[in-house]
Amino acid sequence: MSGVFLTILLALQASMSPALQSLHAGVEAEKSGQLDTAVTEFRKATELDPKLEAAFADLGGVYIEKGDYAAAVPPLKRALELSPDLEGAHRLLGYALLAQGYASEAIPHLEKAHAEDALGIALLEAGKLPEALAVLQKALAQNPEDPDLLYYYGRTAGLLSKQVFDELEARFPDSARAHQMMAQDYAVLHDVPSAEREFFAALHLRPQAAGLHLQLGELYARAQQWDKAEEQFRLETESQPGSAEAFYRLGEARLQLGNFHEARAALVHSDQLRQDMPETLYQLGKAAAMEGDNSMAQKCWEQLLSLEKDTPLAAQAHFGLSGIYRKQGRPADADREMEEFRKLQRNPAHTVDSPK
Amino acid sequence: MDRRITRRDFLEAFTAMGLALPMPVPMSLFDVKHPRGLDFNHVNSPTPQKYLIETMGGGVALFDYNNDGLLDIFLVNSGRLANPMHPPEIFDRQTPRNWNRLYRQNPDGSFTDVTQEAGLANAGDGNYGMGVAVGDYDNDGFPDLYVTNYGKNTLYHNNGNGTFTDVTVTAGVQAGGWSCSAGFFDYDNDGHLDLFVTRYMIWDTQHSKICGGEWQTYCPPAEFPATTNILYRNRGDGTFEDVSHRSGIASIKGRSLGVSFADYDDDGFTDIFVSNDGMRQFLFHNNGDGTFTERALEAGTALTDDGRPLSGMGTVFQDYDNDGRPDILVTVLPREVYALFHNDGNGAFSYRSLQAGLGWLSAASSGWGAGLEDFDNDGWKDLFVAQSHVLDNVEQIDHMMHYKEPPLLALNHNGRFERADSGVAAAIAGRGAAFGDLNNDGWMDVVVTSLGGEPLVLLNHGGSGNWLSISLRGTRSNRDGLGARVQVNGQTRFATTAGSYISASDKRLHFGLGAAEMAKVEIHWPSGTHQVLEGVRPNQFLEVREPEKL
Repeated sequence: MSGVFLTILLALQASMSPALQSLHAGVEAEKSGQLDTAVTEFRKATELDPKLEAAFADLGGVYIEKGDYAAAVPPLKRALELSPDLEGAHRLLGYALLAQGYASEAIPHLEKAHAEDALGIALLEAGKLPEALAVLQKALAQNPEDPDLLYYYGRTAGLLSKQVFDELEARFPDSARAHQMMAQDYAVLHDVPSAEREFFAALHLRPQAAGLHLQLGELYARAQQWDKAEEQFRLETESQPGSAEAFYRLGEARLQLGNFHEARAALVHSDQLRQDMPETLYQLGKAAAMEGDNSMAQKCWEQLLSLEKDTPLAAQAHFGLSGIYRKQGRPADADREMEEFRKLQRNPAHTVDSPK
Repeated sequence: MDRRITRRDFLEAFTAMGLALPMPVPMSLFDVKHPRGLDFNHVNSPTPQKYLIETMGGGVALFDYNNDGLLDIFLVNSGRLANPMHPPEIFDRQTPRNWNRLYRQNPDGSFTDVTQEAGLANAGDGNYGMGVAVGDYDNDGFPDLYVTNYGKNTLYHNNGNGTFTDVTVTAGVQAGGWSCSAGFFDYDNDGHLDLFVTRYMIWDTQHSKICGGEWQTYCPPAEFPATTNILYRNRGDGTFEDVSHRSGIASIKGRSLGVSFADYDDDGFTDIFVSNDGMRQFLFHNNGDGTFTERALEAGTALTDDGRPLSGMGTVFQDYDNDGRPDILVTVLPREVYALFHNDGNGAFSYRSLQAGLGWLSAASSGWGAGLEDFDNDGWKDLFVAQSHVLDNVEQIDHMMHYKEPPLLALNHNGRFERADSGVAAAIAGRGAAFGDLNNDGWMDVVVTSLGGEPLVLLNHGGSGNWLSISLRGTRSNRDGLGARVQVNGQTRFATTAGSYISASDKRLHFGLGAAEMAKVEIHWPSGTHQVLEGVRPNQFLEVREPEKL
């Protein structure tokens, strides 16, 4: 970590002073993992040359490597007094401060060091959520596979969302959106009566608000109250006639209620609004099969399988096709589809192959 | 016959008169009775250890043990569990409060506890009680009892004098492990009832687990290894032979809770449906040569139409849509739907839950014991399900679920079920359910058990529809004609005492005849004999004797 400073200095100075010799010895010790020796040598270098900013920076760096963040701060600050633009020292000081919980103090140093990852975390810890979200997004663009960054990005987004909703509730407690937000919170808790009450309060204020009927319908669907769900999805389709999702959900509810013809109509409409949605195709095939229209079911499920090959929905389509072919007296085709279904099972013991 | 006004008559009369009904008056089909003398209280002893057996017991049988023409009630108790259990596992079945109980019905509808005098008092300290099967395995005219346990099962021979003798060891049917539902049937048509025993899983109190993290709840079945079911062949000399392996029954492992019987492909041999918990279901096709082939996947009864496994618990194998072929009902957990597999003929079934209205009726419920019986005598078999979630703390975990639920009663209107008022207002932890005409009034009654509680006796109010109750008297077939296919005025029933969940029902075959004043009865006996009775009067208990010669 501290070799960078030494390299620059060594290149600039032909002859080595005692301070530089200690600095060099410290770097070698650090490289070989002898961190205590490195500390001794770097400290000696700072004593021999109190203006040698690299020695202070490297001393701070070794302390960080040792996990002694408190000890790292004074030499790093001294390094920056001597050389305010020392980017590496800013980065190290930012890390040291952040590690000790001084997020606000860490931020300017991490900004100067352009350390987006740590800066995003510091901004998050300091409660500067919109800024944190932007910085973490930038960091994620550079390192999209970093799980830590993904975690902090998600956490920031969640907190920001909560902050915004808290503000909504505080400033506009009787608004439709505040009631909607409360309803969603209750829905997450599976508290159907409270969620229902809040949704109805929201609908009373904004009867045509997009998504309200849909969300209330989804609440009922999760509670298996399909008659109520169907009514809400239908109301959503009336207020949002261009919503493929609303028609899809309406079709799904009608399937549960055994109203296959009406289900099919809703699903066909959903498919027209947004084509090639595997979920819609699966349910449409199911509705057709329930009505005895096996050719339509077959067509839908084959189309689904042209879009998806190895998903649970694809497995279900293979299973459905197997049933159709068996009824059509095509055992070889039925067996082939069943084999495809079998291959896609995550836990075959529960569905196709009981352990012997 | 005393004509009484049914709810349907009432509504139709108002409609005909053009009268508006401002508020339909809900009229229940059953009266919840607490008959004098029936003082049973199921003991399951729930512990913080969340032993799975705590959640599964509560079998009930309706049978006429003393042939006095009145149905008697046998109730299976479970036993005491320590917290925690230490080996050897002792469930304190000697203590009277933990006994199984036999209640003899008196002519006035009250009951007398005859457990001790019948010799059924102590079920064995090592046995935690589950369920019961009824069948006359020795064809002596008196129904025998087979009690399933976690532990060893017990076969009680009915001596015909009001007493029973434990003949388990001689008969060789003690099984072992964790047995649940069982049933008598004659798989080889030799006139002697064989015995099928479901087993749930490989589990014991020393290898129990608690699941659900902070919720501390019962584990799902997949946490424990699957196991085999057992088929005992009746040798006809009072002993049985374990043919589980030879027959192919033990070639596949399950987590089996329910069993029902019918000849689904009309080849003259009784087939077996087994409901499994959290995995695919089994349909054992009887090959007619002493072996079975598991065909659920090919037949379309293994999974839902979406290819999903079921949490199968109770099961019924009867014809719900009057097409003459036996269909299969499986009760399951919430967020699934009670599965209804319609028999399409040619050995194939279609998943018809949604068409039959069960999507709406059952998606939020957990079902156990179940029956397809014509409760309103309109000629269509209605659905009754004992309900309750498995997890006693499910409401803390998921506010949308309920532990205790009222039973489901759904009337069958041309193959589609619609909810009706069962008369049970209180939610219970329903488990077993047995069906029969307790008061011999021609209307089917129900006894439902409640886990850790008192059973409910639901007496049918009755109504105006005609009916016919048929008792089979086999001569070449087994004495009770179990396995016979009986058709009356376009309806079909398969003679069985099995089905439901860990319970046994009245062996008499009940048919609602609606307004029909005459009935044609056709019986396809297990022996192959086909018997036809024309011009049968309704509203009678008819015993039909199998012709002794073809």
